[in-house]
Amino acid sequence: MLHTDHLSVAYARKGLALDDVSLSVPAGGIVALLGANGAGKTTLIRAVSGLLPLHHGKILQGMVKLDGHDVTHMSPYQLVSAGMAQVPEGRLVFKQLSVKDNLLVTAAKLPRAQVQERLDAVYALFPQLLERSTQAAGWLSGGEQQMVALGRALILQPRLLLVDELSLGLAPLIVKSIYDQLLVVGETLGSAMLIVEQNARLALKFASSAYVLDRGRITFSGTAQEVANSDQVKESYLGSAKPESARQE
Amino acid sequence: MLAQVLFSGLALGSIYGLVALGFTVVFKATEVFNFAQGMLVVCGAFFAVTAISLLGLPFGLSLVFIVVAAATLGILIHRVLIQPLSGQSMLSVIMLTIALSIVMRAVIEITFGPQGRTLATPLPTGVFLLGELRISQLHLVAALVSWFCMGLFGAFFKFTPIGLLMRATADNHEAALVCGVNVNLMNRLAWAIGAVLAAVGGLFLGQLQLASNDLESIGLLALPAVVIGGMQSIPGAIIGGLLVGLIEQLSASYISPKASDIFIYILLILILLIRPWGLFGQKELGRV
Amino acid sequence: MSDSSRFWRWGLAILGVLILLYLPVLLTERSILGVRLSNMQLLNLGLTQINLMLIAMLGALSLNYLTGMAGLISIGHAAFYATGAMVAAITGSQWGWPFPAVLVSAAAVGALVGVIAGLPSLRVRGLYFVLSTFAMHYIVVFVFQEYQFKFFDVVGVPYPEASISSFVLNTPTRWYFVLLPMVVLVFWGLKNTLSSREGRAMLAMRDHELATTSSGIDVRFLRLKAFALSSAIAAVAGALYAYYLTNVTSEFFGIHFAIQFIAMIIIGGMGSLSGALVGAALWLLLPSIITGFASQGGTDGGLFQQMLVENKSQLVQVIFGSLVIVLLIFAPTGLAGIGRKIQTRFVALWNHP
Repeated sequence: MLHTDHLSVAYARKGLALDDVSLSVPAGGIVALLGANGAGKTTLIRAVSGLLPLHHGKILQGMVKLDGHDVTHMSPYQLVSAGMAQVPEGRLVFKQLSVKDNLLVTAAKLPRAQVQERLDAVYALFPQLLERSTQAAGWLSGGEQQMVALGRALILQPRLLLVDELSLGLAPLIVKSIYDQLLVVGETLGSAMLIVEQNARLALKFASSAYVLDRGRITFSGTAQEVANSDQVKESYLGSAKPESARQE
Repeated sequence: MLAQVLFSGLALGSIYGLVALGFTVVFKATEVFNFAQGMLVVCGAFFAVTAISLLGLPFGLSLVFIVVAAATLGILIHRVLIQPLSGQSMLSVIMLTIALSIVMRAVIEITFGPQGRTLATPLPTGVFLLGELRISQLHLVAALVSWFCMGLFGAFFKFTPIGLLMRATADNHEAALVCGVNVNLMNRLAWAIGAVLAAVGGLFLGQLQLASNDLESIGLLALPAVVIGGMQSIPGAIIGGLLVGLIEQLSASYISPKASDIFIYILLILILLIRPWGLFGQKELGRV
Repeated sequence: MSDSSRFWRWGLAILGVLILLYLPVLLTERSILGVRLSNMQLLNLGLTQINLMLIAMLGALSLNYLTGMAGLISIGHAAFYATGAMVAAITGSQWGWPFPAVLVSAAAVGALVGVIAGLPSLRVRGLYFVLSTFAMHYIVVFVFQEYQFKFFDVVGVPYPEASISSFVLNTPTRWYFVLLPMVVLVFWGLKNTLSSREGRAMLAMRDHELATTSSGIDVRFLRLKAFALSSAIAAVAGALYAYYLTNVTSEFFGIHFAIQFIAMIIIGGMGSLSGALVGAALWLLLPSIITGFASQGGTDGGLFQQMLVENKSQLVQVIFGSLVIVLLIFAPTGLAGIGRKIQTRFVALWNHP
């Protein structure tokens, strides 16, 4: 349901970040986007969700399509109304608002009658949030903040969920439990998911297919199995992680 | 007499608090330090002149006129001037608001002439005696209305869904976008509120003195009020306003009318050197 | 640089110098080589406006140096002018020092006040620092006001006639030939400072403070030096201003006085010294030009012309304010930046027809 067609993106001060990237996320499918630091994964998420202008970025060419509609230049809030939700890199919770208020921000788009029901659904998924619902989100632990960010994204029952670096800074057990919940949600809602992860092994366990980004270009794509077994991927992954001096031979 | 001075200080301070509140709302939402806030106060006074003296509207309708005109002005300023400049350096934005204030000042002088105009509102101008205290009715009404507006705004901010969205936008701009908030709309709303609060302040200050461009320097007192109270803090803005009002009246009565503002600016420098985030602000790293 | 463009540059330079030297004659006699020129043809300009423009250029140059080069935003420039005027009043009007000594003392005190004004920059940066200059403005002007009322009266502070040993500055032409070299001197001086090692360090400091600090250059010291130099020049400008007008009051140095310098450097372009000159020239000369156009209509001029005459200074402000706003949104490099682009295009066309 999500397609990028030959997408090229550049930043005002950093130059070309994505070069001719085409990928798709089928309806209901879970797709992993892998790559080393700086490969352009977050840039792609920003390009798809309309956040590029905020970071002084620009789409040079190509298109983003949601359900066949060209959404390349839609503003972020319109995309959310169209069924896209995001768990951004770094969580980006509203630090000074309570957990409940964090959730209510997204829920503002819902008709009043549905708000409580959706809140309850999120609390059922993440009971810790119910416990802490009146606390300011800034005081929560990293894992709890991740739950807030995820809960926020799920309130509107999105058709497409973008997850950016869920595991960053979190203990493995917590990460696993969150991914488990994510899987449950995926099955219940039937949402498509695009999961950006540095932890390739983890992502490939959940995804059905994957793309590998290296310095702005897609270097490999296929089913999760193919990607996990591919030598080329291992090399390009490890290869681009090698220090500069080793590369310049 | 001390109680007298304290009363007028608190009354004027309430007006300053109102203007400072408008300033803070804009700053929290769009991170713009609006040097044109003084002129927005002047505009409020002249909107009043237009409605009451030029158009001859009844007072109630005049109030509506002032609010609508101010809100429109705030929205226009955001749409035409602030939004295109988003992402540019703070220096550029400050210069922009300064240039805007120059243009506004000149346009007002061209339209209304260089002399001030008296406001003919039906607001009470008498005095009533409380023992030895002479309480200016105008001061009292101004203070009450200011507090009412501040309370109204506070309730709006805290208890309504839109207020929540505005708070969220001020907390984290990007997160608000991610959550589907129409951030541009929120910002425009913030500017409308900022302009309206300044205009109400202008109405009272114009009645207390004269509707003229000289009100600008009084309106600009909102800047030290906000810094002293704490730039991102709403209670800070109000308390800053009260403090500024008190210092002004105390200096005027006990030292000299000419020196009334100087202590405010001295306090401003002291705060900037010792505790730049203000009395109620929070220390933020790399903010500016 | 090709020979032909070099020829052009030298030619233009010599032409420019000749024009500058002839200008006072032109404006006082109001004729070229015997041919009488109308007011309109001279753009309604008099030598007085030119002289005031030259003084303003000093202010604009110094502010440009501070803001555009050192990256320090200051709304306190009127305060330095006031400082200079006050020192001039004390040393010149009260103690009767000779004019050159008055200027030197203004520079010295100006530098000192500048260092003090710059001290907050060691503690706070960015917006907070701008606010400290804002507060400092009010404090200094207040001091001037107190001084004025204590030693003189509400009419203002009077100044004696300026003279350099026996050369008395009692005509605009004489003033012109003192002010012009000063502007040229300051311009070249600042330009040289910027290309010196320290100057380049300062530009680096403006753009990448962290990098500069770690390369061993004491950034704080550089900042204070920039402040001292900038305010010294502004104080001298203030003293000149006071002597030229022969009488000033504290009202002359309001916040709008400070703001107009900011407008000048934005219009001209913040990153270039020549931009400051352009901005100052436009700001000072445009009102006269507009009045000229307005009065051209004569007494039977229409309503529009009448409005122009009555509101000329406000109109100038509207035009300038709007120009600043437009430039900020569309062309942050100001008119100098636009000028440079045109120049580059012109040179390119010239070299490749």
